[in-house]
Amino acid sequence: MAVCFSRGSWLYSPPTGAGPRPFFVTAMIELRNVTKIYPNGVRALNNVSLSIPAGDFVFLVGPSGAGKSTFLRILFREEIPTEGQVVVDGKDIVRMPEGRVPYLRRNLGIVLQDFQLLKRRTVAENVAFGLRVIGAAENVINARVQETLEQVGLSHKRRMFPDELSGGEQQRVCIARAVVNNPLILITDEPTGNLDPMISLEIVQLFLEINARGTTVIMATHNHHLVNKLRKRVIALVEGRIIKDEPGGTYAYE
Amino acid sequence: MGFDNLVFFASEALTNLRRAGVMTFVTVSTIAVALLLMGTFLLASMNMESFLARLQEEAMVTAFLVPGTASDRVSALKMQITAFDEVTEVTVVTPEAAARELFTDPADQKLLQVGLGEGTNPLPYTIRMKVRSSHDLQALVDKLKALPQVESVSYGEEAFRQFQGLSHLLWIGSLLVIVLLGLASLFIVYNTVRLTLFMRREEVIIMRLVGATNWFIRWPFVIEGFLHGLLGAAVAVVVLAVGTPFIMARLAALVPFFAFDPGAVALVKLSVKLCLMGVVLGVSGSLLCLRDLNAFGREM
Ligand SMILES: Nc1ncnc2c1ncn2[C@@H]1O[C@H](COP(=O)(O)OP(=O)(O)O)[C@@H](O)[C@H]1O
Ligand SMILES: [Mg+2]
Repeated sequence: MAVCFSRGSWLYSPPTGAGPRPFFVTAMIELRNVTKIYPNGVRALNNVSLSIPAGDFVFLVGPSGAGKSTFLRILFREEIPTEGQVVVDGKDIVRMPEGRVPYLRRNLGIVLQDFQLLKRRTVAENVAFGLRVIGAAENVINARVQETLEQVGLSHKRRMFPDELSGGEQQRVCIARAVVNNPLILITDEPTGNLDPMISLEIVQLFLEINARGTTVIMATHNHHLVNKLRKRVIALVEGRIIKDEPGGTYAYE
Repeated sequence: MGFDNLVFFASEALTNLRRAGVMTFVTVSTIAVALLLMGTFLLASMNMESFLARLQEEAMVTAFLVPGTASDRVSALKMQITAFDEVTEVTVVTPEAAARELFTDPADQKLLQVGLGEGTNPLPYTIRMKVRSSHDLQALVDKLKALPQVESVSYGEEAFRQFQGLSHLLWIGSLLVIVLLGLASLFIVYNTVRLTLFMRREEVIIMRLVGATNWFIRWPFVIEGFLHGLLGAAVAVVVLAVGTPFIMARLAALVPFFAFDPGAVALVKLSVKLCLMGVVLGVSGSLLCLRDLNAFGREM
């Protein structure tokens, strides 16, 4: 229990990386019979059940429109499932009141395909945003931003603006912002969608490093080269259903 | 909210004020115009009210004494009334003087000499006075009526009631105008804040992604609204302060007696009221816009 507590709220423990979770802790993410039907009638997820233990690295694959983004958006409570249960870090996030959602998200790092950076702010300010928003003190912010920028290899560009960076570098800034407060889970939706293969590999390498510090990583991707190279757990979705879920899996591009 | 946060919010608000130059201009000038109109209206009704009050204070209150009251009783009564806080300029009108006043027409004068000799004058002694302030009128009338030697009191009840009605109407009118102006400017402020919010939607989406609470997102906008309101009020107050003496001077030349000098205290009070209204307008415009942030960026 003590482990869970100190991990859940970084304010009470110095941010030193996620660290291994004890084996007896239940799954980090648990979905039971989750169905999502959008108001327009589209059934984006169809009776999905799965369990992802803490510290896992999961590729979420499938053709466009399979429901990958919907799945991820449900995890950070941007969407609410029509049916079923979703438990993240032991919390029922379907019934979670709206006011608690920000606190859920402070334990999640979110990286999307289009690099959502503020163009008028420097790299350091963009990364600091993830801490500022949760009311961290200025000295904590400075130290953590420096540390995280070093981790993603961009501390020498901390004073630059997003437009002065390459696509890969911009995505690194997004990743730095996502992990600056040591999230339990890193949720990333096609983070390499706009990047060339070499840069994509570097980005995924970064995710592996983050995963090695104990953060659970879920990455939705089209990129079968990456998936087949890394041999991590692969969950394949087609038309909102899980058609394959295997460790060390591959992904044949249809 | 810690100090670091406060510094962050304030610098955010200031940066945004600078960046959204046109929006700031529109919002501030909307608030300024609305407050200027409200201020003018308030001044006009203050003026009207003071005019009515002065009219009432000019009016005489007359106490008719019981017929046959001895003249020494009358002077004692005059002393007693003069001691009242509410009155000024107490005078006694003898029955003879009253009769003379009554028949000012030379033809009637003759009638007076014929019909009313000594001892046959049916008019009672009357005591006339002015009320110090129109607010005290009712109290004074009640006090006079309570005196045993006073048979009846006349104070232009009809005119008084009409003045009261007019004041009342004026009050309701200004309230209505202020509410309407407030709603109209709130509508404009609300829409400009919506535009600013749209311009900054990326920032808001990111804030929500990294776990900002709704209040954290609102604070910079609220401070911005506060500054908009204060700035608009400042403009309105300056224009009023410069314009009022000028307009009052013109008015005084046109309709003497009507124009008034509200005095420094009243003007300061008015300025404070306008600032408060400006702040309420600016802040509520922002809050109204930001009441539902939960759907924000759903279409992402
Ligand atoms: N906000 C939405 N409203 C309505 N339909 C949506 C919405 N988002 C996604 N969909 C639909 O849901 C299905 C799954 O979409 P999505 O989760 O984005 O798939 P993927 O990320 O795998 O491409 C698609 O048919 C898509 O058109
Ligand atoms: Mg998608």
